[in-house]
Amino acid sequence: MIVQAADTAETGGPAIAITGLVKHYGNHRALNGIDLDIRRGEKVVICGPSGSGKSTLIRCINALERHDGGSIVVNGIKLTADEGAVQDIRQEVGMVFQHFNLFPHLTALENCMLAPRLNRGLAKARAEKLAMHYLERVHLADHARKYPARLSGGQQQRVAIARALCMEPRILLFDEPTSALDPEMVKEVLGVMEELAASGVTMICVTHEMGFARRVADRCVFMDHGEIVEDGEAETFFQAPESGRLRDFLARILR
Amino acid sequence: MNGLPIDLHLAWESLPALFDGLKMTAILTALPLLFGLALAFPIGFARMSDRRWLAFLAEAFVTFFRGAPLLILLYLVYYGLGQIEALRKGPFWILFGSPFGCAIVALSFNHAAYMVEVLRGSLLAVPHGIVEASEALGISRRNVFIWVKMPLAIRYGLKAYQNEVVSFIKGTAIVSVVTITDLTAVANSIFEQTYDPFTPILCAAAFYWAFVNLVRIGFDLWGRWLNRHNAEDVAADAVAPGRGPSLRPASDLKQVTP
Repeated sequence: MIVQAADTAETGGPAIAITGLVKHYGNHRALNGIDLDIRRGEKVVICGPSGSGKSTLIRCINALERHDGGSIVVNGIKLTADEGAVQDIRQEVGMVFQHFNLFPHLTALENCMLAPRLNRGLAKARAEKLAMHYLERVHLADHARKYPARLSGGQQQRVAIARALCMEPRILLFDEPTSALDPEMVKEVLGVMEELAASGVTMICVTHEMGFARRVADRCVFMDHGEIVEDGEAETFFQAPESGRLRDFLARILR
Repeated sequence: MNGLPIDLHLAWESLPALFDGLKMTAILTALPLLFGLALAFPIGFARMSDRRWLAFLAEAFVTFFRGAPLLILLYLVYYGLGQIEALRKGPFWILFGSPFGCAIVALSFNHAAYMVEVLRGSLLAVPHGIVEASEALGISRRNVFIWVKMPLAIRYGLKAYQNEVVSFIKGTAIVSVVTITDLTAVANSIFEQTYDPFTPILCAAAFYWAFVNLVRIGFDLWGRWLNRHNAEDVAADAVAPGRGPSLRPASDLKQVTP
């Protein structure tokens, strides 16, 4: 299955193809027919007011939320209720959360080693080498033996990024990665994310960091009430927003 | 008598017998703790199952064995089950035919019922976000349970477990009513032979006290080892007090959300 998926990806199919995606919470329609294609290597920023469905959208991509209608195809693998498909997709997709969600009982290094050891059966020494490699990449090699409780918010989030990278995913999802951080720590996390963006990985980032969006995003998507209202290149998105709703939103967050 | 309520000579003489009693008490603690815990896992899973009938059965088990006084339970097993002829003729009579077997069964079921709730509470306390993060990493449900949920649940549940074990140890004293010579029974028989209530009973109390505290120290060491990630935090705070409010109670292992 994974081999097949790699073929599809190599032949240039989209990294993620979403069509007619619908998600309900009870009577509330959180996603109301989303169509979105994301090319391989593309950096997409999703923004929108709270409750617009942006987090729900990216949480559907790795099946943390199960969708009720439409289809999601990730690297050629169709996301179904089948556990095998879900597991295959999760091997391809890494995720970084607003609240870091590190394993508090494991050191930074062990946080990074757990998934490679369990999923790929890597020996301890190899997993450790892999984990150190990615901890270096997020500039935290010195803190590898510390427990999350001893790290600052920014450091914890960078460990969380390294932990996701250790599974060597082709796609990275970021769910408001800097919203829970003190202002002085936002920069170090965005810095790491920008370095990552340069490496060619596909990135989808829910964020309100518009400076980051301008510097990094190939494309920006604006959502409201479970729908994509505007979807365009970063430049035109900020310079010439078409819809009134996006203009209002930008005016509010850019101040 | 020398003014003390304790006859030191009698106390010294009683030591070997009391030690034998303590040994029985220790066995009657250890085995049910083991069996009870082993039972608590499947029943706990059933209790948390989405299948309503399964959850209901498990809940009925917990309600019955937690609600019934241990003494009543022991009488039921020891005197009640012996009335069933099929059981007397069956292979399980080896177990139910002896007071020791009956006591182990009653104590194990009682302990299991309490442990189901301890286990459930601890598992429910594991932050959902951490479980989600594990799932997002593609870790299988089984491995998430073994490597993430259980290690954290043990930390959350340790204090409750310790309380349960300590009160359980003292609860074993009732087995003397079905002719088992545990620590309490030994002390009682010495009293009946000497008409000195203080010496044997106070000695037995001291033995219980020592046993319970040994267990407590064991739990403390275990807890300190398990929570070393927080202990280190405390040390860091002592060194760098300006580092902000990172000192949290051991019971709160949730991620910091500044």
